[in-house]
Amino acid sequence: MTEKLQQSSDRHQIVIEVKNLCKTYFMAGGLSQNVLKNISFQIKNGEFVSIMGHSGSGKSTLMNILGCLDRPTSGDYFLDGENVAQKDDTALAHIRGEKIGFVFQNFNLLMKRTIADNVSLPLIYRNVGETERRERAVKMLQQVGLTGYEERLPTQISGGMQQRVAIARALINNPAILFADEPTGNLDTQTSDEIMRLFCQLNRQGITVVLVTHEDDVADYAPRMIKISDGRKEFDGLRADYVKTVQKEQK
Amino acid sequence: MIYQILKEAWISISAYKLRTFLTMLGILIGVAAVVMMVSAGQTVQNEITKTFDAMGTNLILIGPGETVKGGVRGGRGKPTVTFADMDSLKGLKDVEAVSYVVNTAVQAVFGANNYGVSVYGTTPDYLTVGNWEIEQGQMFTERDLKSGKPYVVIGQTVVNELFGLQNPVGKVIRLKSQPFTVIGVLKEKGDGMMGDDQDNIVLMPATTLRQRLHSGFRPDFANIGFVKAVSEDKMEAVANRIEYQLRARHRLKEGVDNDFSARLMTDMVEKVRNVGFILSALLAAIASISLVVGSIGIMNMMLVSVTERTREIGTRKALGAPNRWIMFQFLSESVLISFMGSFVGMIVGVVLSQIGGIILEKEVPISVWSVIISVAVAVVVGVVSGLMPALKAMKLDPIEALRYQ
Ligand SMILES: Nc1ncnc2c1ncn2[C@@H]1O[C@H](COP(=O)(O)OP(=O)(O)O)[C@@H](O)[C@H]1O
Ligand SMILES: [Mg+2]
Repeated sequence: MTEKLQQSSDRHQIVIEVKNLCKTYFMAGGLSQNVLKNISFQIKNGEFVSIMGHSGSGKSTLMNILGCLDRPTSGDYFLDGENVAQKDDTALAHIRGEKIGFVFQNFNLLMKRTIADNVSLPLIYRNVGETERRERAVKMLQQVGLTGYEERLPTQISGGMQQRVAIARALINNPAILFADEPTGNLDTQTSDEIMRLFCQLNRQGITVVLVTHEDDVADYAPRMIKISDGRKEFDGLRADYVKTVQKEQK
Repeated sequence: MIYQILKEAWISISAYKLRTFLTMLGILIGVAAVVMMVSAGQTVQNEITKTFDAMGTNLILIGPGETVKGGVRGGRGKPTVTFADMDSLKGLKDVEAVSYVVNTAVQAVFGANNYGVSVYGTTPDYLTVGNWEIEQGQMFTERDLKSGKPYVVIGQTVVNELFGLQNPVGKVIRLKSQPFTVIGVLKEKGDGMMGDDQDNIVLMPATTLRQRLHSGFRPDFANIGFVKAVSEDKMEAVANRIEYQLRARHRLKEGVDNDFSARLMTDMVEKVRNVGFILSALLAAIASISLVVGSIGIMNMMLVSVTERTREIGTRKALGAPNRWIMFQFLSESVLISFMGSFVGMIVGVVLSQIGGIILEKEVPISVWSVIISVAVAVVVGVVSGLMPALKAMKLDPIEALRYQ
């Protein structure tokens, strides 16, 4: 589909590698909280991984670091071979615009802008001209099944559609990886399934997908699963294996 | 990139039309007020210049000296310069014309009409030094002056009040019951600086006025004397010669102050113009207080906007917007608002001052200052009031911003 994805379509190439990742929040009064403790894993190109864990276990914190919105307190993070753990704000902004697509739980669309404007927004920061932005937005909307909605406002479409718009927006830069933090958290079961099927479809096209969720139904869509518990990696492997283990334990 | 930023900024501010308009209004009113004040000041200055020009150029005014009592300078004293003193100045180098005036105010009567007029006893050269022209008839001559002929030359107001549509030349009017023959009519000059009627004037030979209108004995003192230099750059030199000449004639010893004054008209014009300039600067300064208020309005609005749009800022950052892009976007929003406000304010200010000019029948200049002020205000106010909110937006942590409800 895209230059970058074709270029790195080698299934075995490692796109994400974290080593001994730690995150500590320092709070007023000298208190501190270790939210991520020595987390290490690799994600290969074209994988579909879910990150699971209870509320407060540190999933979002991990996701924000992976998405270059935040920096780890210690440890290394190699994105596409480059250590981005301690880059400055400007460098991180550039990486976000170039390599990362982000989907949020609450969509985060600009409510006063048209669907097409929302989808093409990331291209503004990469100096893409108006006509090309428009063309690419139309194409992306087609991919997520929203042809004809270009001129609507976000308030005029359903939540599921809004999340599709957000996905189209995340993909418009041809990112190396698509991150999604609880993308179905604000959707009903049926719409959740539609969105998850869209993620599967995009993954089959070669896009690497990393998804945070605490719902088993959602995690079932991803072949691989990383489970975080109290800031530590508790499980990393096939989702199917994990389910079997849990079932055994329950018996 | 600048185009993209401006466009994003424009779309954002046009999403909140009423709020943007009200914020703009503050700047609009401020700029309009400043432009109007500047126009008013310039109009006053122009009027002053025009009046002085009408009074004649290259003039040196001779008057009484300043009274000094106990070392304190007081007002002007009694006239000290005589007709003969003035006549003696005619021979000085670079002098083009000399004239002087003794004046009084009386009722002028013709038939059933009467009118209060200013009477100037003067010399034929008064036309030259006072920039007057004869419209009809003629001016009295040096011979008429010597022999004290009862001739008068009258201004347009006097013509209108006493004669209406009749031809005044050759008619006899009465001043203090004495008959005077009208031999000429002056061209109209219009209102003076203080709105006084310059055309309400009756000229006659100075000797005639002394003999016929002044009762009792008084020496031939001139209330004011005029010396016209041949050119502006000779005025200084002529003034020095006048001083030398008059000190000699008045037998003033060295170290004694002048008992007369010789002032250059150009200096006086400069002084009055300076007062006019300071006045208009002061008015503009007062008007610019409203600009400060308008500027605070923009800052306030932008701060609210940054807070309201925290999620938007977080989203933009998450999508790859560099910090400076965010800063410039918000800065552009405030600059755009202040720019539009200033532009419309400038137009409103110019239009209102022109309307004012029409109502007051004064010519109001459209000055480049209006444009300079407006552009400067647009940039300065926009940047100053937008910087703090823009920096606030720039510094927002994207994670915090995205969590913001
Ligand atoms: N900015 C922060 N400052 C302090 N503590 C934080 C901050 N963000 C998250 N935390 C804490 O870190 C822990 C993990 O949070 P988070 O990563 O959001 O969990 P999850 O997404 O798995 O629910 C929680 O205990 C939360 O209170
Ligand atoms: Mg979370």
